Amino acid sequence: MRRFSINRLTSRLGAALLLGLLIGTVPARALCAERAATLEELQQKLDQSLKAIQELTERVRELEARQSGAAAGAAPAAGESSAPSAPEPTRLEAVEQQLEQLETANASRANDETGMPLHGFADVGVGTHNPINPDLEGFFVGNLDFYLTPRLSDRGRALFEMNTEVGAEGAVGVDLERAQIGYQLADQATLWLGRFHSPYGYVNTALHHGAWVNNSLRRPGFLQFEDSGGIVPAHTVGLWITGAPRVGSGKVQYDAYVGNSQQIIDGVLDMRNAGNAHGNLIVGGRLGYLFNAGAVEGLTLGVHAFNARIGDNAVPANMTRVFSYGGYAVYDTEQWENIAEVYLFDDEDLSGTSGTHHSHAGFVQLGYHASWGVPYARYELTSLDQADNYFAAQTSGFSYHRSALGLRFDLSADAAVKLELADTQLTDRSRIQYTQGLMQYAIRF
Amino acid sequence: MIPGSHKSLCWRTQFLCAALLGAGLLGAGGASGRNDDAVRLDQLPQQWRDDRGTPLALTALLGQRVVIAMAYTRCRTICPATIAELKRMQRTLDERGEAASFVIVGFDPDSDDPASWRQYRINHQLDRSNWHFLTGSRQETRQFAHQLGFDFWTYDTHVMHEPRLVVFDAQGRWRGAVNPSSGNWPALL
Repeated sequence: MRRFSINRLTSRLGAALLLGLLIGTVPARALCAERAATLEELQQKLDQSLKAIQELTERVRELEARQSGAAAGAAPAAGESSAPSAPEPTRLEAVEQQLEQLETANASRANDETGMPLHGFADVGVGTHNPINPDLEGFFVGNLDFYLTPRLSDRGRALFEMNTEVGAEGAVGVDLERAQIGYQLADQATLWLGRFHSPYGYVNTALHHGAWVNNSLRRPGFLQFEDSGGIVPAHTVGLWITGAPRVGSGKVQYDAYVGNSQQIIDGVLDMRNAGNAHGNLIVGGRLGYLFNAGAVEGLTLGVHAFNARIGDNAVPANMTRVFSYGGYAVYDTEQWENIAEVYLFDDEDLSGTSGTHHSHAGFVQLGYHASWGVPYARYELTSLDQADNYFAAQTSGFSYHRSALGLRFDLSADAAVKLELADTQLTDRSRIQYTQGLMQYAIRF
Repeated sequence: MIPGSHKSLCWRTQFLCAALLGAGLLGAGGASGRNDDAVRLDQLPQQWRDDRGTPLALTALLGQRVVIAMAYTRCRTICPATIAELKRMQRTLDERGEAASFVIVGFDPDSDDPASWRQYRINHQLDRSNWHFLTGSRQETRQFAHQLGFDFWTYDTHVMHEPRLVVFDAQGRWRGAVNPSSGNWPALL
């Protein structure tokens, strides 16, 4: 009977142990509970060790007392402190201090500085028929954009943006859209070297390849990236210094850059990633002021300009001195995102006798942050002199105007759906007019 | 044999009891959800500057609840919504006659210095003395964010982040974290 009851007790204890283990292995967050469990274990082991130390210390005292012939009553009782045991509280305090340091170090070690964070954006969409952009007809794959910012030194900076996109013929291409390595010279001066977005206007440096970041479904047509129909060099390979020092209640935003002058190859602007064999340079800059207080808080006003010698691969080849200047205004608040940019071109034919040509382009966009989404309206206009070789050599160098209405709706913090209805009228190379409907699903990760 | 068996049985029983107790404690630890969320206020980076440029350690705020969020001044959607919820929380505490410190730590110290936060406070009428807008170094900001679960990354001038706020009690112990837009923060108070 006794053996049976003992066996039963043992088996019950074993079952309880199993249950306890099962309970102990169902944490809300496995990874974090594992770390907390490890800490718990360490604490328990430490407590047990302290207890063992105490017991051993008492035992040593008893033995010493017997050896010296002292009375049993002279041996200190368990837990009672006396002069010879003075080191024990100190040791206990030291152990407690070490435990606290271990806890703090463990909590601080949560800052994982190893590895390189990889983030990015992606978008897909569907569009109605249009005679100009076959890559936006039907269902289409947009971009898969990877953004890498390796953590360098305290002042070192690096940024790489790799974009995978599907061309008009369906070929998948990988483009190193941005590859810039920089150094923070001072609080408001960073020097970059590599391939970067040319600092002009607002859109080209505020809204990059990640479609999710942009409230509107797409950029203005003439400010698209080079391989998407843009006629202004969106990328430069060169050297760029930028900063935004505080002046008054706002900030002065400045940029200055120099790089390889672009070229036009088969109708598309090329930024000469592989170097510059001709010695032609693009030099440019931008200066703006961000109002940060008062009635115009959120308003930025600025001017920009660049000068470049841009050739093409026509037979015979043409060379044009492209001088573009203009201004921009942005009103960016929690309610509004209103943007206006204007570009003037005074281009000189360096290879022929056609002289200087004047053209202009611009857009205005009004966007409102409603509780349910961001509706926007935009008007774009280009008037490009077709006798200017710079525009004539580009497939997208035609004049047009476009009116668009759009809407951005956030499904979550990481995903947005955008809709746009646009009416476009070409005004020189052809007189095509078309209406286009587009939908885009854009995410960040 | 019987006395020996009894002794070994007692050892076995004691071992099972100890193991059961240990497993139970481990289980309790897991079920309570202890993880990085168990970080204490005094275990966070302490070298901050407020919007006046004055050094401020988080431990100086012990003695009342501390509500923590992260933001950046150019944020147009998530941060304004978080600030609005923090204002609601402040009103709730005012009605109860309870005090708390509200701490907003900047994601982007390169762009948002103390003067930027000073202007932000003026622009958004956030002038109560128990609200603190803090700037730290890039490393401390990342460590702080990582310890409290504020996942973020920067895309040029944009900061990609999720809405989140964290509450510590008056002794600096973790009370919990919540998405402020869910409105579920009353349980943390």
